[in-house]
Amino acid sequence: MFNRLVRPNTTQRGTRRRTFAGAVALASVVVVAATTMSAGCADNAAAENEIVVTGSTTMLPIAEIAGEMFHDRYPDKKVLVSGLGSSAGIETVAAGSSDIGTSSRELKPAEEQLGLHDTPIAFDAIAVIVHPDNPIGEMTTDEVRAIFSGEIENWSELGGRDREIGLVNRDEASGTREAFRNIVMGDIPFDRTAAVLPGTGQVRSVVSNAPGAIGYISLGFVNDEVKAVTIDGVMPTAEAVVTGEYPVQRLLHFFTAGPPTGLAKEYIDFVLSTAVQDTIIQEAGFTPITGGER
Amino acid sequence: MAEAPGAQAGSGTLQLVSRRTHLKELALKNLFLLCAGVAVAGVVLIFAFVGVRGWPIFAEVGPWAFLAGREWNPTAGLYGILPLIYGSVVVMLGALVIGTPLAVGTAIFLSEIATPRVRSIVRPAVELLAGIPSVIYGFFGLIILRPIVADVTGGLGFGAVTAWLILAIMIVPTIAAISEDALRSIPPGIREASYAMGATQWQTIYKVLVPAAKIGIIDAIILGMGRAIGETMAVLMVVGNAPVFPESVSEPIATLTTQIVMDMPYAAGEHRTALFGMGIILFLVSMGLVALVRLMSRFQTAMESGR
Repeated sequence: MFNRLVRPNTTQRGTRRRTFAGAVALASVVVVAATTMSAGCADNAAAENEIVVTGSTTMLPIAEIAGEMFHDRYPDKKVLVSGLGSSAGIETVAAGSSDIGTSSRELKPAEEQLGLHDTPIAFDAIAVIVHPDNPIGEMTTDEVRAIFSGEIENWSELGGRDREIGLVNRDEASGTREAFRNIVMGDIPFDRTAAVLPGTGQVRSVVSNAPGAIGYISLGFVNDEVKAVTIDGVMPTAEAVVTGEYPVQRLLHFFTAGPPTGLAKEYIDFVLSTAVQDTIIQEAGFTPITGGER
Repeated sequence: MAEAPGAQAGSGTLQLVSRRTHLKELALKNLFLLCAGVAVAGVVLIFAFVGVRGWPIFAEVGPWAFLAGREWNPTAGLYGILPLIYGSVVVMLGALVIGTPLAVGTAIFLSEIATPRVRSIVRPAVELLAGIPSVIYGFFGLIILRPIVADVTGGLGFGAVTAWLILAIMIVPTIAAISEDALRSIPPGIREASYAMGATQWQTIYKVLVPAAKIGIIDAIILGMGRAIGETMAVLMVVGNAPVFPESVSEPIATLTTQIVMDMPYAAGEHRTALFGMGIILFLVSMGLVALVRLMSRFQTAMESGR
């Protein structure tokens, strides 16, 4: 071992120097990573040409597409969008780690003290969806409530096939769940044995291939893979939302800490402009907020 | 900091290497010490953080209501994690029951039966299983396994059964690799003695080799247990996440880890404290498992030196 140390001037020298350099490089990478990370945490929302939009998974597609259009129009400005659920959106915007919190539900009493500014950007209906092969296509609000509270457990009780009802619920961070609870469930608690899925897309995908399943998703997400049922005789459509006939509907919100300013205001104004309202919002199956007096 | 004592000693006495080389060596030594230190500091810091944030829940809710409460319903202020502990245990045990025979069988095949050629194909394949990100397992479970389970059981396919199947595959590499090491480290003399006494290959495997590697295999199973109980993403996608005591294994259930992920985005106040409290429980479980493995290997050393 000493022998080796005594002869550092032979060919070994090069290799050793390289290893040493490698180790130093590694160490510096670690240090740099650590500093950037802490810096990134500190002023996440402060970057001038970037805003962070977090929250509802229902609103994720419109916020994202609008963000891309916004970026195309103003190439030096960026909108970073993520979907963690409405509650997370409200929490992060209140905590200052995002600029806009998107929410598909109203503020809860405890959240009203946070001083958030509300900008509604669209109307949305919540559709109750079943497997396309399910013969049942109509329900009353009472029946929907009975199903989701676990009172009705078999499709035969509604005149369908003898098959157990597979309840699919959303997680508690979901604004869709909160809105559905407010409008449909009232004080009746959800059946706690229901499967709880963390995203609108997952609910649709599960209902689309489970013959006994029932779930609820934003009208904007309903497609051919699932069947939306009529509630109290009204099919969830954009028109029924505008007229107010379809009972399970709500507003989609952008929350900001105080009235929006700067880039956040530019982005919100952009989303409220006809360029977005008449295209993305409608194509996504939502009803434009400008779409009228109800 | 690096130069002081060593360099002076070097210059005063026998100079074996140049001062430059000496400094390099010293710097390297400290660098690696730092690397190891970071790992230890990481564990200590995380444990302290989770502990500080989670500890108050035992006072706020009460240890009994927290650990043995039968209802997890944060909106109603109920923070009983018994159904989650139950979920974690059910999911972990089922995965072990399915995964262990699979993994130990693989290990026996690799160490005793496979020809080098076959081994060179099978072993990398098993090792590759360990490299697949857990979200991919979860996705596979959600898209492929769940509908199959749903067809068989008539439900939605969310539940412990689906998680068992996914986790059983996920723990195979852990258990197989360590079991194979244990089998391979049996002195060849023992194997040869068995054959010399006329034992068949099967007799040698189950009467001689497996008992001889017993402790190593149990170690492997305990580590597999740790993997199963800590796995989050893959389980989250297939268990259905209902924090209840389900009527059957094919109905939605939740585990400690999945509930933390589900609730983390919006939890605040006492609810968040409760999630950290669950983190403490998970920490204690994994510390217990590691301690068990240490104890086992000490036990084995003691036995071997006693022989």
